[in-house]
Amino acid sequence: MSFFSYAWNWVSNGANWHGSDSIPYQLVAHLGYSGLPLLIASLIAVPAGVAIGHRGGPAANVVINIANAWRSIPTLGLLILLAVYVGVSTTAWLVPLVVLAIPPILINSCEGVSEVDPDVRDAAKGVGMTTWQQIIRVEVPIAVPLIMLGLRTSAIFVVATATIAAYIGFGGLGRFIFDGLASNQYGPVAGGALLVVILAVLVLILFTGLTWLATPVGLRKRAKTE
Amino acid sequence: MITFEAVTKRYPDGTVAVDDLSLVVPDGQIVVLVGPSGCGKTTSLRMINRLIDPSEGKILLDGTDIRTRPPAQLRRGIGYVIQQTGLFPHRTIEDNIATVPVLNGVGRGQARARARELISQVGLDENLARRYPHQLSGGQQQRVGVARALAADPPVLLMDEPFSAVDPVVRASLQDQLLSLQAELHKTIVMVTHDIEEAIKLGDTVALFHPHGTLAQVAPPQQLLAAPADDYVAGFVGFDRGIRRLSFVPTGGLQLSPAPAVPADTTVTQARAAGHPWIVVTDAASGAPRGWIETARLEAVSGETLLGQAGTEPLGRSFVAGTDSLRAALDAAVLSPAGQAVAVDEAGRVVGTASFDQLRAAIQAETAAEQAAAELRQAEPSP
Amino acid sequence: MTWSWIPQNGALIWQLTRENLYLGVVPALIGLVISLPVGILAARWRWFYPPMLALFNILYAIPSLALFIALIPAFGLTDTTVIIALTIFSLCVILPNVVAGLRQVPASVKQAATAMGYGPVRRLATVELPLAVPVIFAGLRIAVVAGISLASIGQLIGVSSLGYLFIDGLQRSFPTEIWVGVVLIVVLALACDLILVAIRRVLTPWTAARS
Repeated sequence: MSFFSYAWNWVSNGANWHGSDSIPYQLVAHLGYSGLPLLIASLIAVPAGVAIGHRGGPAANVVINIANAWRSIPTLGLLILLAVYVGVSTTAWLVPLVVLAIPPILINSCEGVSEVDPDVRDAAKGVGMTTWQQIIRVEVPIAVPLIMLGLRTSAIFVVATATIAAYIGFGGLGRFIFDGLASNQYGPVAGGALLVVILAVLVLILFTGLTWLATPVGLRKRAKTE
Repeated sequence: MITFEAVTKRYPDGTVAVDDLSLVVPDGQIVVLVGPSGCGKTTSLRMINRLIDPSEGKILLDGTDIRTRPPAQLRRGIGYVIQQTGLFPHRTIEDNIATVPVLNGVGRGQARARARELISQVGLDENLARRYPHQLSGGQQQRVGVARALAADPPVLLMDEPFSAVDPVVRASLQDQLLSLQAELHKTIVMVTHDIEEAIKLGDTVALFHPHGTLAQVAPPQQLLAAPADDYVAGFVGFDRGIRRLSFVPTGGLQLSPAPAVPADTTVTQARAAGHPWIVVTDAASGAPRGWIETARLEAVSGETLLGQAGTEPLGRSFVAGTDSLRAALDAAVLSPAGQAVAVDEAGRVVGTASFDQLRAAIQAETAAEQAAAELRQAEPSP
Repeated sequence: MTWSWIPQNGALIWQLTRENLYLGVVPALIGLVISLPVGILAARWRWFYPPMLALFNILYAIPSLALFIALIPAFGLTDTTVIIALTIFSLCVILPNVVAGLRQVPASVKQAATAMGYGPVRRLATVELPLAVPVIFAGLRIAVVAGISLASIGQLIGVSSLGYLFIDGLQRSFPTEIWVGVVLIVVLALACDLILVAIRRVLTPWTAARS
């Protein structure tokens, strides 16, 4: 049988939709484990990235170079360290996940603002806007596509991380995968994986749509190649 | 009025961009800062609206040191136009123009209405109001840039190479538009350009910079052409400054001879009878000149033909007596196959001709007058 | 931290490192080899690219563990599964950069080359590709760095890598082992990144002169 037939059989089994360990329950848990770190990371990283991007200078150089270091961190290893030192059921899981979710948002927000056409930034200053007005009325609106891209990248990342977090005892859709692996049942493994894929794609579509909505009309025509 | 008092700008690495600059920009005039790349003209301009702050010296706006006012507030009272326009890509044209009034608290509806007025005033179609900058051509974008600078009706306008990024035809049109706006609005304008022709065309006063931040000469364009302060200025101004200077001299004092003008509906026989070596063929109804004919050539043409049907040589151009410049008249004479410039009146009707001799007399009279004026200036203390 | 554990298990660590390196780098190289011809076509035929890009955006969003799992029925719990999954990921990252890299070569440069008599193949090989190298390498670096990190997740489906140190360390509650795994992966990934930067500098001597 193929991946899809295993997965479909399991997902369409009504029993899996009821009870305390059911699909809806784990789905909500998954959304919680991914959504909360993402939200907090955005509240920190968007203003920080925008401010650094506006100032430029050495801080901006540092930010640009974080990207590769961030990508090299093995999330499984980090989560396991977390489990060993801190345990699973305390709220301390939130801080490391927030820290992991920050870099894409920070980097893209910084880049989005610093790449605004220097002539446009000069004009914004020259017509008499205060620093706050320059940032809010000109730089951020123009940087929206990149800021949203950072949010989208981070969102997809936290969905994947939350999947793996089930390995160290968290709930979420990963629960089906690891319970299935432990009991040698490919059904829930495939089913869990399929649900994760669907969720990830939905998140992608959601953020792509939000990006389109949030981009100022005047900038929509000029498509960004990313 | 803008006053530079011993302004110097020195950068941390030691470069001196502007060196002890003292300059007065009178109200209602266009002062053009011109010079080679790196001469400090743009730096000087950007010190007026505090995008750059001087290392030494001060700048006064209507008698007050500009450093006593918060920068953002200062800049709202100064229009600012730059070469690449810096139009906000995420806003419509009318919202771009309405930027400063809205910052000043004017209601958006009212600001947009004013924006639409300005759109027409700078020579654009009002239908462009709801478009976005990237949908406009370079020349159109520059006009929007000027409209945005004028929106809050500031007394001062700063322009940094505003027309350099467009092609020569569009540039000439924009320059003319600026001159006609200025005739209406009488702003105090400081403009930076590297193009000496533009400086001469637009400036009431031209401030020519040496390569390293000091002034070579500050004078009205005509004086710059007639009496350059040194070899550097003479070289910068260009090789045919003598002839270009003539474009500032009106033809009021030019003596004219009666024109050998013959309407196009006369016959060849009658035309030959008039006895001129060259004939200006004019339009029978309006009296406007059409072309030249050498009478000797008419021998070969049958007597009954109307003059208008015989082949004419091109006119070249004519000049409007009294209002056009000596340069236009000289150009007309050079282009004329007969060696005479055709003078017309405001309506285009031929009123006379000027020969090279008559032009020479007028030019020499002008040179003498300029010489006298120069001697007077040397006797007076400079302002 | 029990530092003595490290030299005691040197052979194991070395073997796992080699395996992880293999699992991280090979997919990136395969991805590069596929991306070049496909990217060259996509840069030329404008209609070809947007649907591909949409597909890659979707594939890129799929968590790597889920992708491994999806490939198990076809390829088993083997290295192949991980390599194929990471190759797909590499394509998502390198192909757009091949296209972007070729497209950012200034039109004036391409026209000058054609005017001097370069045929299309020669122009591509000797003018366009070299100028696209910085952008292509940016994508390659991402693929290698992320690949080395993601390969460790393969341990969850039994494919051997430095991830073994995580699993074993968790089971034994032995932080030293876990730290060794984490640190080695980061060091390995960043070392490969530096090597790629050095290679790029060798391939593009003109960029050094500019700064």
